[in-house]
Amino acid sequence: MNNNKRSLTAHQDDFFSVVKALLVIVLLLSIAPQALAAGDAEPAAKVVNPGAELWREVRQREAPVAGTTQVAGMDSGVLINIRGEQWRTFRMQQLIPAAGALLGGVLGIIVLFHLIKRGLRLELGRSGNYLLRFKEIDRVLHWFVATIFIFLALTGLILLTGRVVLIPMVGHDVFSVIASASKEGHNLFGPLFLLGVIGLFIRFVSKNFPGKGDIGWLLKAGGMFGGKHPSAGFFNAGEKIWFWLVIFIGLTLSATGLILEFPFFGQDRLIIELSLVLHGVGAVLLVAGLFGHIYMGTAGMEASLESMTSGYVDANWARQHHDQWAEACEAEGAVIAGEELAKKQRLRGTKNRVPDRPAAEEGQ
Amino acid sequence: MTEFIDGPLWYFALAVFLSGVVWRMFSIFRAGSKPDLSVPRRSAAVSAVMTSLRRFVPRHEMSPRIRLQLVAGYMFHLGLFALLLFAAPHVLFLQEHLLGFGWTPMPHWAFIVTSQIAFAGLLLLWLHRVLNPVTRLISDADDHVAAVLTFVVMLTGCLALMETFTGLRVLHRFTVELLMIYFPFSRLMHAFTFIPSRAYTGAWYGRRGVDA
Repeated sequence: MNNNKRSLTAHQDDFFSVVKALLVIVLLLSIAPQALAAGDAEPAAKVVNPGAELWREVRQREAPVAGTTQVAGMDSGVLINIRGEQWRTFRMQQLIPAAGALLGGVLGIIVLFHLIKRGLRLELGRSGNYLLRFKEIDRVLHWFVATIFIFLALTGLILLTGRVVLIPMVGHDVFSVIASASKEGHNLFGPLFLLGVIGLFIRFVSKNFPGKGDIGWLLKAGGMFGGKHPSAGFFNAGEKIWFWLVIFIGLTLSATGLILEFPFFGQDRLIIELSLVLHGVGAVLLVAGLFGHIYMGTAGMEASLESMTSGYVDANWARQHHDQWAEACEAEGAVIAGEELAKKQRLRGTKNRVPDRPAAEEGQ
Repeated sequence: MTEFIDGPLWYFALAVFLSGVVWRMFSIFRAGSKPDLSVPRRSAAVSAVMTSLRRFVPRHEMSPRIRLQLVAGYMFHLGLFALLLFAAPHVLFLQEHLLGFGWTPMPHWAFIVTSQIAFAGLLLLWLHRVLNPVTRLISDADDHVAAVLTFVVMLTGCLALMETFTGLRVLHRFTVELLMIYFPFSRLMHAFTFIPSRAYTGAWYGRRGVDA
């Protein structure tokens, strides 16, 4: 009896196994034609990934596509802004090489000029008489702006060219520290530069309008390449051009810098990107101009630095470079004899080295 | 290096600073003055207080001549002390390492503005020092070292503002420690002596009936 039961159970198991196998075969046969048909119509390799299509759509447009989002804020609906890549390309492929070429070129020209001309010397030597050119407040203001601008130029150039110039030299880790410090310092001192530029404008604008002799001065390039030194007033045409460059580019740098430093007043990405371009280009131009200004104020023109240290210039220097101003001072009786100035400064307790006798008398 | 600056050098600088300041102040007070047997015309104590306060404002006759020093001086000193006492990292440092309690620090924007005011003031003061013939003559190396050291301390502090890099924080702390070691031996001591100095002058003159 028991043997019969076991035999029946075994037969049932076999039966169900066969049924299962048949069901699988039927299922496969029913799917196969559709699968084969689908395979014939479109190869599997050509199936487009909807994700890839989406990202291509997002990235390869000519202009950013704004979507819908609950996140409030400027451009928050834009997944990827293609202008960022445009700015990066402009910065790396155009701005940095151009900046390097301009700054290097200006430095090269200055060195070449100095090697050939050795700067502009005092043609008649020192007279031993002096004219007050810049008051103390003017000199303090000048050096205030100069100090801040040089700091901003150094930190700005580190931020602009650091990836290309510094990373190969110091590595990524050190550069990240330098870049962070430069950014903080640059942002901190930027607003002070604006105040300084406004101060320069207030103090010097009245002397920097176009005047008599400016065209002639420009045509003769300030007498740099020989010939009689062209006539000029308190500021010559070159100095006036530098003044207005400092004012206009300085104000542009300040305005764009503030837009970049405080990006939460509704300025959109386009304005920020334009500000970046203007800030970078303007800064490079001003630094190039600064090279020339520093050269002309030191090695490029004998005795000119004194005007921004002691405030006094030799009368011969004034006659040579600013004859109209020198004549006006002489007419007003504003020329101070060296002995008188030395006595005055001794009384005021200065250590200024003012020669008591003209250079010619000292056998020079 | 970081451990050395954060540890032994910090304690050394603190010890030099505290003992140096105490020694300098003690030596000044110990010097004393000759007993004044004259009949006082006015209270010396009141005059000391009045002179200490009066010197915060320049004399009317001097005002036009020292406008730059006055404005820049207040910009720098007020800015510096605001940064020292109310910058968030400083408040936290004092709370965790020295005092055990803290107070509400200034917001980030106020820190930036205060730093700019202090920097502008310090720079203007130093430029006046080197460009004015009188101040240039009476200045010596100590004045310039103190000004440069203070500037560097402020600058490294601001460069480390984001507190992202340990190196910048340690650099700031190192310059602070240098300043603390230099402080007692320099004219930076005026931070502690200016009130006693004014008070002494005010008391001395006040006793004789003179407004100093």
